[in-house]
Amino acid sequence: MSEFSLPAIKGRVAFVFEEVDFDVDQIIGVKNIKLRDPAELAAVAMQNYDAQFAHQVQKGDVLVGAANFGYGHPHYPPMIAMRHLGISAVIAESFSPGYWRGEMAMGFVQIACPGVLTFVRRWDVLEVDWKHHLLINHTQQSECAIEMYAQADHDMLAAGGIMSYLKQIRQKENL
Amino acid sequence: MLNKQGVTVGLTMVEKILARASGKSKVQGGDNIEAKPDFVVAYDFPGYTDVIFQQMKNDFGITQVAEPKRFALFIDHMVPAITPQEEDLHQNTRDWGAVNHVPVFERKGIGHQVAAELGYATPGAFVVHFDGHISQLGTFGTLALGVRRHLIEAFVNERIRLAVPHTTRIELVGQLPQGVMARDVFHHIVRVLGAASCRFQVLEFGGEAVQQMSIDARQTLTCLAMFTGAISAIINPDDLTLSYAKGRSLLNIEPVYSDKNAVYAARHTIDISQLQPVVVVPPSPANTRDLSDHLGLPVQVGYLGSCASGRIEDLRAAAHVLRGRQVHTGFQLYVVPTSQEIMRQAAAEGLLTDLVAAGAFVSSPSCDYCFGRIGVMSAGQRAVSTGTLNVKGRMGSTDSEIYIVNAMAVAAAAIEGRIADPRNYL
Repeated sequence: MSEFSLPAIKGRVAFVFEEVDFDVDQIIGVKNIKLRDPAELAAVAMQNYDAQFAHQVQKGDVLVGAANFGYGHPHYPPMIAMRHLGISAVIAESFSPGYWRGEMAMGFVQIACPGVLTFVRRWDVLEVDWKHHLLINHTQQSECAIEMYAQADHDMLAAGGIMSYLKQIRQKENL
Repeated sequence: MLNKQGVTVGLTMVEKILARASGKSKVQGGDNIEAKPDFVVAYDFPGYTDVIFQQMKNDFGITQVAEPKRFALFIDHMVPAITPQEEDLHQNTRDWGAVNHVPVFERKGIGHQVAAELGYATPGAFVVHFDGHISQLGTFGTLALGVRRHLIEAFVNERIRLAVPHTTRIELVGQLPQGVMARDVFHHIVRVLGAASCRFQVLEFGGEAVQQMSIDARQTLTCLAMFTGAISAIINPDDLTLSYAKGRSLLNIEPVYSDKNAVYAARHTIDISQLQPVVVVPPSPANTRDLSDHLGLPVQVGYLGSCASGRIEDLRAAAHVLRGRQVHTGFQLYVVPTSQEIMRQAAAEGLLTDLVAAGAFVSSPSCDYCFGRIGVMSAGQRAVSTGTLNVKGRMGSTDSEIYIVNAMAVAAAAIEGRIADPRNYL
């Protein structure tokens, strides 16, 4: 693995998406998919799930999802809204590859944690132990294994996203 | 290659293609590699190509790509442009292509199909695009990955970093019944294996049923791989695909084939001989159902086209159903051949005449009907479609609905104004 470290993740579970094959576009509603301004996107986010979400969420909070999270034809605006609201990571049973690639390229932490749905409840406080590949639930005082990243994913996330990652590679190779 | 028990194991064609692309003698599923794509292809789209062009220059100081022949751009979305901003985007693409000596193909059809026609689908080649439907180049034994925003890596660096994907082998056996098409086969696979069954893997299709399939049908199968969670799909070349590629291939490389003792993540055998036409109900491509359970549902719009369907076999099937019949009053049937080459062939075979005579609105190739830029539905309307997707708002109002069916079933629904069994018209 590279010398770069992954971002510290510690926060409350701001929401649990229990639907398998969850289409993230539903977070903002397809009718808002062409919005670009993060504040506007944040204002429409989660209206169909919890209208108070924006008022309750705190910087560093995480989202939890079910299996194949991000399935369908995922667009970027829903998670632009979530990052604007302070969400630091999405932890799911598993991810759909297209969604995974897109968000990891943005430097947004995605963590595959089989069993996470049975392991957490909304508002539990979670922390990621990158060194031991563990998700620690401080509220329930329990822990659960998370999947390791492929090296390219690890390095890109540690760099903060695809652009910084490429700049680091090019710097190293004197390009 | 020896496994941990010292037994000789074979390699998948994906492993062989990526070994060559990474300059190694062997790679295996899970290995972290740096591979040089043989071709880097993309269609121009706001937020993708325009951003990549800017980032290359502003963030990396690159004013010209190295090896321009490795790159190809397609203009197939927003064709024809309906706003000055759209035409600006296209002009920007043409200008960038001219400065970089990179070919820009427009008015030739949907890029994923045109890429095959122009020889980018060289058997054994490794191709990247931002769009996952490029997987359909796997029809010709090409490994083509849709990597979304990671495509910038292939524009900026010679090599891209990736983990070698594992492969799931799907053996299709039996004879396809009448009225059932490759479209039904693919959605049946999603139904049987599940929408997450092959996540991060490549599907390798094979078996007697695949050998009997046309190139068109194989392109349908490979195009839609993403809806099983796969990142691509591939088929071992045979005489049919090799003869298509001969004279078109842009690279002089040897085709590769999976070894008989290759190690797969999973193997599935699916018998298609009893398959019935299916429908994928909104709002998810995971929702495969029996068409027979939805017969009679009123529909107002039909779309026959896209990079998944809309090829000559689909047009022949729809024309066969519609020949001598009329589209139901008030029903809007859009027929959009996937490429100009296909449209020319359809014209030569008289299919366009049959379709127009039946009342179809036949358009030149464009991606625009598939993603709701034109031919849109209003709230409460419902479509039957061979487009790629049926998520909310994909073809207009978020309160309209898309039912995905095969080309014959689109034609049958167009006649009746409701979901109908195409086998009644064969």
